[in-house]
Amino acid sequence: MNASRSLPRVGLAVVVVAATLLPLAFLVALSLGSEWFYPGLLPRQWTGANWDLLGRGGTKMAGSLWMSVALAVGTGVISSIGGLFAGREIARLDGSRRRIGVALAFLPVVVPPLALSIGLQYSLLRLGFGGRFAGVLFAHIVPALGYTTLFFTGIFAVFDWRVEDEARSLGASARDVILRVMLPLLHRPLVEAFALGFLVSWAQVPSTLLIGQGLVNTLPLELMSYVSAGQDNLAATAGLILTIPPLALLGAAGLAVRRLRVVVP
Amino acid sequence: MWRGDPSINAYVDRWVAPRLLRHYGITLRTIDGQGPAIVNQLVVEREARARGSADLVWLNGETFNNLRKESLLYGPWAHRLPAAKYVDSLSTIIMRDFEQPTNGFESPWGRVQFTLIYDSARLPAPPRTVAGLRDWIRDNPGRFTHDQQFTGTTFLKSVLYAENGGAQSFQGGFSKKAYDRGSRRLWAWLEGVHPYFWRRGATYPAGVADLHRLFANGEVDFTMSYNENEVITKVRQGVLPATSRALVLRDGSIANTHFVGIPYNSPNPAGAMVVANFLLSAEAQLEKLRPEVWADGTVLDVRKLPPEAARRFGAIDADPRGVPRDTLRRYEVPEVAPEYTERIARDWKARIRANTK
Amino acid sequence: MSALASEMGRHRGSRSGLGLLAAALVAAPVVVGIAYSVLGALGVVGPGADGISLRHILAVLANSATWRGLLWTLWIALASTLAATILAMTAAAVFRAERGVDRFARVVAVLPLAVPHVVAALCGLLVLSQSGLLARLAFAANLQVSPADMPALTHDRYGVGLILSLTWKEFPFLALIAFSVIARAGAAMEETARSLGAGALQTFQVAVLPNLWRGLLPSMTAVFAFVAGNFEAAALLAPSSPLALPLLTMERFTDSALSVRPEAFALVLLGMAVSLCGVAAHEWAAHKAEA
Repeated sequence: MNASRSLPRVGLAVVVVAATLLPLAFLVALSLGSEWFYPGLLPRQWTGANWDLLGRGGTKMAGSLWMSVALAVGTGVISSIGGLFAGREIARLDGSRRRIGVALAFLPVVVPPLALSIGLQYSLLRLGFGGRFAGVLFAHIVPALGYTTLFFTGIFAVFDWRVEDEARSLGASARDVILRVMLPLLHRPLVEAFALGFLVSWAQVPSTLLIGQGLVNTLPLELMSYVSAGQDNLAATAGLILTIPPLALLGAAGLAVRRLRVVVP
Repeated sequence: MWRGDPSINAYVDRWVAPRLLRHYGITLRTIDGQGPAIVNQLVVEREARARGSADLVWLNGETFNNLRKESLLYGPWAHRLPAAKYVDSLSTIIMRDFEQPTNGFESPWGRVQFTLIYDSARLPAPPRTVAGLRDWIRDNPGRFTHDQQFTGTTFLKSVLYAENGGAQSFQGGFSKKAYDRGSRRLWAWLEGVHPYFWRRGATYPAGVADLHRLFANGEVDFTMSYNENEVITKVRQGVLPATSRALVLRDGSIANTHFVGIPYNSPNPAGAMVVANFLLSAEAQLEKLRPEVWADGTVLDVRKLPPEAARRFGAIDADPRGVPRDTLRRYEVPEVAPEYTERIARDWKARIRANTK
Repeated sequence: MSALASEMGRHRGSRSGLGLLAAALVAAPVVVGIAYSVLGALGVVGPGADGISLRHILAVLANSATWRGLLWTLWIALASTLAATILAMTAAAVFRAERGVDRFARVVAVLPLAVPHVVAALCGLLVLSQSGLLARLAFAANLQVSPADMPALTHDRYGVGLILSLTWKEFPFLALIAFSVIARAGAAMEETARSLGAGALQTFQVAVLPNLWRGLLPSMTAVFAFVAGNFEAAALLAPSSPLALPLLTMERFTDSALSVRPEAFALVLLGMAVSLCGVAAHEWAAHKAEA
């Protein structure tokens, strides 16, 4: 194959790295500065105040951060397990039934979050879930479950069912089959599905806005509130904090390039 | 309440809330939201028979009008507050919200006046009348615009007054005839200048914060605020350059009061009233007035206060960036019926915003 | 757990009922949402409901702002999806080796996956505005004198800044899929093509491209649908006229005049229809590809 050090290739790599990292570096600078007006290339003053999460003025950002984490973890857990069951059952379908199953699972993914939230708002409020953690959690799970279901449908579409059957035929109990055969095989996809559900909830804006009724404050909402108030420095800080857990998850769940399974419709 | 300004947030979260807890055992939680969103929320809550999410709401003008129309406010209650006797009840600016009598359905909190903001380093001699502004805009294309929300609408109202001989033409309730006649002149003024606006009027900043950003970065030479002292707080926050100054248009500076109201489905109206009363206290109003805090005008009549308190009000230093109090008073004009504001906002979107090339 | 256990040992295909039930459960909330929106658009439910009537829907359809907003949103979605796809395919085709520069580039390219859309839009706003980072760099390089000299890339008629920000954000997702497809497809087909004497470009066209395309199609559809419905990015970067569909929807939904609310529901249905059409188009294309 081509030598991996050829000039165009390295050049392209540099472009990719620069285009990816420069905007993020800019955010870092913004979060550490104040009074940064055109045409300054650097802020006139540097300050760590924006990152003082627990001190004066920072407590709201900290509170919204924990709320975001709680919602995302809850969504990740519930949607990964739910997606496992649903995806497994759909993958077992044949032919046109499977197409219908996948199409149904696609619905929550494809419908815009704003549209979905406007449609669901009345029902959730009527049931008493408005402005409550449980209500917003539900609103996040709806799209997340769609993603994880599709993910697992893809996994199980190429899954070798014989493993399960052979374990049974060799006399393993149902419990053993789950714990010693299925779970080890599925543990990596489960972690990846958790990451998927987590990320879907983590970045949500319209559903939290409309179902949370202002009582449930997450970090993305806090960010939008900073932007609309012109507080660019705080917005940059919130933006960077918003990026950290997903980055960590990407690394930990090992979404290494070679391992990802492609969803097969 | 609107949580878009850290100074206001700091005042409410770190000065008002601890004192409420200490003196009355009340825990204050603030929720982000304003104007139409509040109306929307209460309407949806009523339709869904959901529990109320707020005890006290910060509002004025159209929001108050809409909430009253839909019977979404609890009340009357405001006149029962012990602190109400210190309110400046002779001021029509305070006792009427956009010309409507408050009737005890909302309690005054602060008062503000509309000003333009310019950079004295870039523009040592700015125009001070609407006519002068028009000429300046034509001579300096691309250096002026206004936002699409409340502040921008207040600017449009200022032009409306100026082009029609003052606010008197629109007082005494909403009149379709007066509106049609007056708005025609407003649209004519706008159609004459908007090709010289920033981006040739093809797009407008969404809110006043976006306009502040344009101004601070030198894309335009003016920004504006419905609070005459916002220039002080924004410079302190590092959002506006230090050489920014407020400017009162000689044609009139629209003054209005902002209030707090209690939603019909408030879970704790008694607590809400205690909070409203505290907000009206001399102590709270004084703190709010300080330039380092919020620089929001007081609704109290200083003469009705005990002498010690009155003296402290008088001792607040005037910041050179702001506008002297007597200048503000001289040019103050009241708000008129809220229907004018609503119609202007809606018609502007349909006529001017939509027709840009 | 016991449900899973009781199914162990059953053969595939004999539990089709459960599969459809599971799928229906996943889709149920969406169906409820659609139903409520339909009723709302007809004026049956919701604030501003005044009896069943088609006039709200007709008013929305008759309003030119609706169509301009819709077409503009479609333009943005199409442009950013295509741009991100082309870039993803290029990256996958170029950075093929297991180690070295290629691996590093692949890892870095995927990073913005972690950046939420609203943050990506914020970056776009602050970098691309006429007084943003790009403008300041140009100023420092003596390429321009004032912000007005810079092209308007934010809040502009063609949505260039919005497209760039969305492309930046969607590229890692499509690249990830593309890398995976390339890795799985393996070098076999390529080697065969080469051994038959095909040049580099031909090899790519015949052996690699079809695989990439097939593998990316579902994700492209997802990206298209997502971008078309995205509120946050448009809120930060779109112009006020033509007003993007999500922004128009939100404006109607929060309008102080309650009588306008049914129009918001009609716009919600329109937004959903756009996404569903995208999926339908994908199904049709995939069906054709398999035929």
